[in-house]
Amino acid sequence: MIEIFLQKKLNAPSGKMLLDIKTDIEPGKFVTLYGKSGAGKTSTLRILAGLLKPDFGKISIHGNVLLDSAQKIYLPPQKRKIGFVFQDYALFPNMTIFENLSFALYKNQSKKILDELIEIMEIGDLQNQKPDRLSGGQQQRVAVARALVQKPELLLLDEPLSALDEEMRNKIQKYILQVHREFNLTTILISHDLAEVLKMSDEVLVLEEGKIIQSGNPIDVFSKEKLNGIFQVSGEIVKIKTEENILHLTILIGKDIAKIKVNNKEYSHLNQGDFITISSQDFSPKISKHK
Amino acid sequence: MQFAINELVHDFSKTTGIECEIIISSSGKLTAQINEGAPFDVFVSANMKYPNDLFEKGLTLGEPKIYAHGKLVLWTMKKELTPSIQQLENNHIKHIALANPKTAPYGNAALEVLNHFQIFQKLTTKLVYGESIAQVNQFVNSQAADIGFTSKSVVLSPKMLDKGKWVEVEDSIYQPIQQGIVCLKNKSNKEKLALKFSDFLFSTKGKEILNTFGYSTNFD
Amino acid sequence: MDWEPLFLTFKLAFVTTIILLLVSIPLAYWLAFSKSKIKPIIETLVSMPLVLPPTVLGFYLLIAFSPSNGFGKWLDEWLGLRLVFSFEGLVFASVIYSLPFMVHPIQSGFSNLSKSLLEASYMLGKSKITTLSRVLLPNIKSSLLTGIVLAFAHTIGEFGVVLMIGGNMPGVTKVASIAIYDEVESLNYAAANSYSLILFALTFSILLLVYMVNGGYLKRFWK
Repeated sequence: MIEIFLQKKLNAPSGKMLLDIKTDIEPGKFVTLYGKSGAGKTSTLRILAGLLKPDFGKISIHGNVLLDSAQKIYLPPQKRKIGFVFQDYALFPNMTIFENLSFALYKNQSKKILDELIEIMEIGDLQNQKPDRLSGGQQQRVAVARALVQKPELLLLDEPLSALDEEMRNKIQKYILQVHREFNLTTILISHDLAEVLKMSDEVLVLEEGKIIQSGNPIDVFSKEKLNGIFQVSGEIVKIKTEENILHLTILIGKDIAKIKVNNKEYSHLNQGDFITISSQDFSPKISKHK
Repeated sequence: MQFAINELVHDFSKTTGIECEIIISSSGKLTAQINEGAPFDVFVSANMKYPNDLFEKGLTLGEPKIYAHGKLVLWTMKKELTPSIQQLENNHIKHIALANPKTAPYGNAALEVLNHFQIFQKLTTKLVYGESIAQVNQFVNSQAADIGFTSKSVVLSPKMLDKGKWVEVEDSIYQPIQQGIVCLKNKSNKEKLALKFSDFLFSTKGKEILNTFGYSTNFD
Repeated sequence: MDWEPLFLTFKLAFVTTIILLLVSIPLAYWLAFSKSKIKPIIETLVSMPLVLPPTVLGFYLLIAFSPSNGFGKWLDEWLGLRLVFSFEGLVFASVIYSLPFMVHPIQSGFSNLSKSLLEASYMLGKSKITTLSRVLLPNIKSSLLTGIVLAFAHTIGEFGVVLMIGGNMPGVTKVASIAIYDEVESLNYAAANSYSLILFALTFSILLLVYMVNGGYLKRFWK
């Protein structure tokens, strides 16, 4: 269990604000911090990483205390075993991609991990390039790989995808989810993209003015009105095809694709990229059990 | 010279009512400035080379005149030292200041003294050269140099009087340090006044002031 | 022609630059990243040689180095070091005098680096020293080069301070700028001209080389 309690007075653009966060995160979960800019998301992440000192707080990972202001314990970032992916990627311009990755190795660590990460993130062709020759998406993949070299327990991602285009974003999301699973990570992602939150996270923490105002399963959190349907799913419209009066919607639900047909007149306001909740009241499903 | 000149000008202005402005700089720079037409009326220098140079270029009213001889003294601020030529080889003395012999007559005189006693070679590593006599004074005054050769007019000047210890160097062993004055041609029509000042230096009153500042006025 | 003043000038500039580099990297690092309250005071002190006339600095150094005063006495008695009229003294003075020319470019180099580079290295478990030597310094090479060149060139051109505390001792403190002044004062314009010309040519070549390296001209040429 990752136990987080922190307080810090921040100078937000709107004036002074008290960041006051208390939450527990189960190991292996994918959690997103969601909220407007200035809500305290990045500060929270930086405090977790040890890059920012809270006025007051206690943070522990599986009983390992990283920070306890009452006992004056402040582990420096170097000792926290946390992977951090920066918004601007922060690849070292003086090193090649391979050097960036091998720089991350701790003393006497086997280089095997590098090959593994290079393969997963599909950056083998880029190894000998300097970062400035890479596209944003390529740099981001390297940044994620680099953050994982030391096999951290906790991976923090500070809005890593905001600067990427739609297609690249989908691709990187896939990579991140893959390493999240394969490396048994607990991951905290900052995002203010609703689709991203829904697609990626097990749990969302909604921040406003430095406080968590809502938390839980993203679908529950973001269903504004509780629909009365006996069945509901949420997803993103990835494709719309119009055929006479019928709209063919292709929807990404979680990691699956679903196709449904709806009436054009009723749903003409839908656009590609919209996030929607589909509910059905008369519904007779066929259910098959996974073997 | 600047110490004596202040006094001379003060007295001159009092008796004649002629106001003077004093501009103090190195002779080399002043010569260069006069060459380029600087509006000076009288030029006083401790190095005859410069007034003679101006005379040869026809920039002066007549030949430069020698109004006094400067005296060389050995001066120290160190309490434990008694200034004397014999002391210079002493190990307690690490640095001996003198003015640059190439450009300053007092430096040249000091060099002559060292050569006369045949100690120049032994002292080369101790010798530090001031750009001018003024810098030698600064070296001695701050005790950065233990001892130095300077002008007698310096140690007799009001501000330095009773500061440190000094001894006069026998003047037969160095060439006289001739102090020259020359009036300059320029368009200011103050030539008569300039000549008046020049004459003042040779008057009884003028000589009296020069003597109190350690210049000798009895020479041929 | 006496080559000694020229040799001495380059020796002084070389030694000064090496010491300055060692002093300025930690100082510039601190100035760039510290949030200490005394930072403005240190920044001001570092910049003082830019605005102070060299003679003021020379005058104070002369007094400070004088064996009859506290600091100079301490040096003399404990280390047997006299900084007036010595090469060491000129080095010390030049280090102070040229300090801003080395510190400022390095400091702005550090400040212009994205702070996340430093933080990323920390997150990878790297110490401050490792981060400095392997991440920060290699990425501010051109700032380092600028600092080195400015400090070197500024030391070559130094005159006022050397004049005040040097004592014009041949082979010890008589650097080229003093030799030139000397020759001009004694109306030896030809000698002054030779010194000046050599100094001009050498400094021009050094600066040109640096700008070519920094501008990537050489790389292009080689390719």
